Amino acid sequence: MIKPRAALSAAVLLLALTACGGGQSAAPEPGSSASGALNPVKVSVIPILDVAPIYLGEQQGFFAAEGLKLEIVTAQGGAAIVPAVVSGQVDVGFSNFTSLILARSKGLPIKVVAPGVASTGVAGKDFGGVVVKAGSPIKSAADLAGKKVAVNTLNNINDTTVRASIRAAGGDAKNVSFTELAFPDMLAALDKGNVDAVQVVEPFLATAVKNGDRVVASNYVDTAPGLAIAGYFTSQQTAAGKADLIKRFTAAMLKSLRYATDNPDAVRQVLLKYTKIDAALTGSLTLPTFPTEVDRASLETLAKLATQDGLVESSPDLTELLP
Amino acid sequence: MSLMNAARKILLALAVPVLLVAGWWLATAGSASFFWPPLGQILTAFADTWFSARFVTDVLPSLGRLLAGYLGAVVLGVALGTAIGSSRTLRGLLEPVLEFFRAIPSPVLVPILMLFAGIGDGMKILVIVSGCVWPVLLNTVEGVRALDEVLGDTARSYRMRRHSRLIHLVLPGAGPQIAAGARQALSIGIILMVISEMFAASNGLGFTIIQFQRSFAIPQMWSGIILLGLVGIVLSMAFRAVEARLLRWYTGLRTAQREG
Repeated sequence: MIKPRAALSAAVLLLALTACGGGQSAAPEPGSSASGALNPVKVSVIPILDVAPIYLGEQQGFFAAEGLKLEIVTAQGGAAIVPAVVSGQVDVGFSNFTSLILARSKGLPIKVVAPGVASTGVAGKDFGGVVVKAGSPIKSAADLAGKKVAVNTLNNINDTTVRASIRAAGGDAKNVSFTELAFPDMLAALDKGNVDAVQVVEPFLATAVKNGDRVVASNYVDTAPGLAIAGYFTSQQTAAGKADLIKRFTAAMLKSLRYATDNPDAVRQVLLKYTKIDAALTGSLTLPTFPTEVDRASLETLAKLATQDGLVESSPDLTELLP
Repeated sequence: MSLMNAARKILLALAVPVLLVAGWWLATAGSASFFWPPLGQILTAFADTWFSARFVTDVLPSLGRLLAGYLGAVVLGVALGTAIGSSRTLRGLLEPVLEFFRAIPSPVLVPILMLFAGIGDGMKILVIVSGCVWPVLLNTVEGVRALDEVLGDTARSYRMRRHSRLIHLVLPGAGPQIAAGARQALSIGIILMVISEMFAASNGLGFTIIQFQRSFAIPQMWSGIILLGLVGIVLSMAFRAVEARLLRWYTGLRTAQREG
């Protein structure tokens, strides 16, 4: 039985633990620069296609060249990354921009330090999209009104952009019923008819197309041209306390993003290293763009959508969030 | 005297919770930490969050699924457990298999259950049943097996019918054990209620807490956790009331034995 007594004592215990954790992170790192060795930088990412550049950059030695020893900590979901960054357990995290706008609107002291991934901007040829079964009566985003659509996280970037896509096609976006499903479970649910449509990203998009499913909307493309989806961020504290470390991280990250843009085949290769993507599938994946600048217009669009769909009461100050 | 005793009991029961709440309040009173908001703020969020339409749209569906799953598990567990407990052959055949299935944590079954039962309420109820049934089932088997043999022989020699033997001897005899299993199952049920809502959900208490966490509504998230604890208390009190009623003979017997 979960009794509040137990919950409370656990809370008190946790409180004590985090209090210690907080103290630790505030302390300077002893000897890291004195020894002349590489400075460790801890980065928390979700092991998905979007973060291929950081793995490539590590392989190419871009981080070592900046005097950084990259330590990648993988997390299951973006939700765990923000607290880890804010508490100083990791220096940098990867997250989609809607989540960061949400966090910023609640007053969390975070700051974007590098771009991460953006839409290709080409309808039907993006790395994410809304997919239906081959025989479905749904022909366009407008037909999604009144239908059941699966997204990986409710009240986040994917449902707001699907709604934007429906509005752009002249449909009634209020009328869609979204269900939360993990990406790996989506195609089975679609196949069984549990949902009418699913919003998937690569590699599930390529798998769906291979199975004969039909892409009816490219929700990122319909939202804004070249929509920036996600990026790397740190806490204000880390940004101020380890300004130099963050500056070098950004430099190495930009080099990595550029390299990823110039070497798509290397991106496909590195995926096999840190994801469980089927090797036969990597050739047919649509890669996202890896921008080298954080696109303010995209964040403004996402903030507007978040406000419009009631995720936040009012848009946060984006200047505070942007680098 | 008994009034004094009752008052003393209540004081004792409340002392630690009150101390903990006071400790929590004091420790967080001036907290500026985002993830550890002051308790006062959490309690305000509690009222705003749960004394609203959300009670109907999220809490009631959760409790409905929990009750459906839990009752389903109890009925299934007692029925199967009685059958297995009464038959030596069945027991020999099934016991190793039961241990195997019991050892599988239900959360890992969710993706598989989703393939069979879809993503609606049925799947979530099945998740709860699949976890709650084991303590009931195994305790029922033990309870039925441990029945007094003399009583069984007596019932047989009086030619009691199978049906009345079940109602008047087997189920009451195994009752205390079944109740122990059912109590265990209740807490498992609450946990699975939350877990089942982490997959393919669009409403529910667990779902809402996770939504709050993801949207960084931290006081609201804490208030949901507190609500879960309160749900646990209320359900366990309800369970005790039902148990006291059904097992009145047993508690009476125990008291008499202790005093004798």
